[in-house]
Amino acid sequence: MTDASQPILRINALTKRFDDFTALHGVDLNVAEGEFLAIVGPSGSGKTTLIRILVGMDELSDGAVWLRNTRIDVVPANKRPTCMVFQSLALFPHRTVGQNIEFPLKLRKVPPAERKARALELLDTLRLPRDYYDKRIQQCSGGEKQRVALARALAFDPEILFFDEPLSALDYRLRKTLEKELKDLHRRTGKTFIYITHSLEEAMVMSDRIAIMKAGRFEQIAPAEEIYARPVSKFVAEFMGEVNFFDLRNGQAEGLLMTPETAAALAGRSGTLTIRPESLRTLPEGQAADLTFEGEIVAEYLLGSRMQYRMMLATGQEMIVEVLRENGVAGGIGAALRVGCDLSAAHLIEEARDAAA
Amino acid sequence: MKTSRFATFLLVLYGLLILGFLYLPLVSVGLASISKARYLSFPIRKYAYGWYEEALTSDTVRDLLVVSLKVAGVVTILSMIIGFFGALAFARYNWRFRKTYQKLILLPIFFPQTVLGLALLMWFNALGIIPSWKTAIVAHLVWIAPIATLVVSIRAFSFDAALEEAARDMGANQWQTLREVTIPLLMPGVTSAGLFAFLLSWGNFPLSLFSTGADSTLPEWLFAKMVSGYSPLVPTVGTLTVATSAILVILALLLAWAIRKLRPAT
Repeated sequence: MTDASQPILRINALTKRFDDFTALHGVDLNVAEGEFLAIVGPSGSGKTTLIRILVGMDELSDGAVWLRNTRIDVVPANKRPTCMVFQSLALFPHRTVGQNIEFPLKLRKVPPAERKARALELLDTLRLPRDYYDKRIQQCSGGEKQRVALARALAFDPEILFFDEPLSALDYRLRKTLEKELKDLHRRTGKTFIYITHSLEEAMVMSDRIAIMKAGRFEQIAPAEEIYARPVSKFVAEFMGEVNFFDLRNGQAEGLLMTPETAAALAGRSGTLTIRPESLRTLPEGQAADLTFEGEIVAEYLLGSRMQYRMMLATGQEMIVEVLRENGVAGGIGAALRVGCDLSAAHLIEEARDAAA
Repeated sequence: MKTSRFATFLLVLYGLLILGFLYLPLVSVGLASISKARYLSFPIRKYAYGWYEEALTSDTVRDLLVVSLKVAGVVTILSMIIGFFGALAFARYNWRFRKTYQKLILLPIFFPQTVLGLALLMWFNALGIIPSWKTAIVAHLVWIAPIATLVVSIRAFSFDAALEEAARDMGANQWQTLREVTIPLLMPGVTSAGLFAFLLSWGNFPLSLFSTGADSTLPEWLFAKMVSGYSPLVPTVGTLTVATSAILVILALLLAWAIRKLRPAT
């Protein structure tokens, strides 16, 4: 990723209005050359609308899209140097695997021998056997179809490769395998990938940066670790996985025991304090952490090597705690639980910022 | 649940009765064509095959055949073209008046064909067009083109819009998208529509009656000869007409089977 260089894609105040609602509210985004960017959001957040506008399937209402120094939102889809892997993959059922891969080359009048050589090369790249060249699409499995669709998109040799949730229809294990392959493919080809998904897990495994979308706006655009550790809103925090929220009013929060140092650090501040279940640890009697919570176990779940507890605080608020199994507590449901964390593991979403979101 | 033997017996009987109801009349026409008697009556006492020779060498029958084939042939080709584009508008693309179009295009199918034929005849007269086999093509198309459109639409409804978008995304212009994706994918539907169009035109009587003018198609002649001037030539020509349809259907099935077989193997 070359951050210093000029971005390959610049989206400028892009707005999309339909008859009765606005799908995108003037979004801005810069994508660096060779970056793997994931755009994540729940359905209806506008991510599919955005990608369709970027590849030219739909028109924008306002704003501009630049590919390096060319304004591309005014260029028809078939003249744009970008390519998309569709959710349905859109492989031509009446063509063989080879013909599918060669399709963009055939349109460019590349001679048949050269086309075939390139298609076979791409079969190698995607780790498909070369004799798949003459196979029919219907004879391919789900994962093989994915690879054929990727090979076809790579045959086009796009400046930017777009993905519209291509893995969503596959079973869990295959998805996991392909996620890693895709990341590996990104590294090997050095191309710019823009990947749309509703699965944050998928985005975290593959991408350099994640853009979280909500109701036609970008909520936060940052590397995964940053979004995880320092979400800008409750929406992002919850989207990134299970989290505990505490309302902080002028440095005070109910159900929260603080050391004097912590109280001093939080004095006068208001907002939502977010604490991830796995940053909590069990505390022996008499010992306190920067932030300490006391309550009663109301449910417990075994998550492989970890243990998750749902703890009821004296205030009636429920809290999720996740610890390593060997650090778990005996007694089960009904037992008392004392957990705590360092102040640095808690993140405060300041009042003003969340209100705007 | 296990079906009892008696129920199975009833089911088989029912099936045989239905088949008999459908096919026995045709068999009787076939039998009538090889009867030596001058009039249609059963049981047949003596058989003769001379009428087939007569039918195959008769100038009248040849003329009838030419007219019927010309009409059905042109109707088939035009129905395939109209059906293809009509189905795209019917089933593939969203446009403002699509719902209205869908209803309007289907309406002629529900008109009584005799009324449709009469209306067309009056219209031809008003325009000063002398009815002939050419006007019959127009009349047949009014009724058959909507059916062809429907048949292609069934195929078009199962069409993934992303296929055309993907072609465009990879650089295909509209013509290339049509040639590489839309036409090949709709082709099976267009072929069935053509087969339907041919068979419907080939066997049509009410529309032809009003619209052929001085020309005559096979079904028209069959009817005229039934009314006056019956001879075993009538069931003979009738049998040959049915045989032509049957052969066409069998050829179409064989062709479909051959195409499936010839596709790239594993």
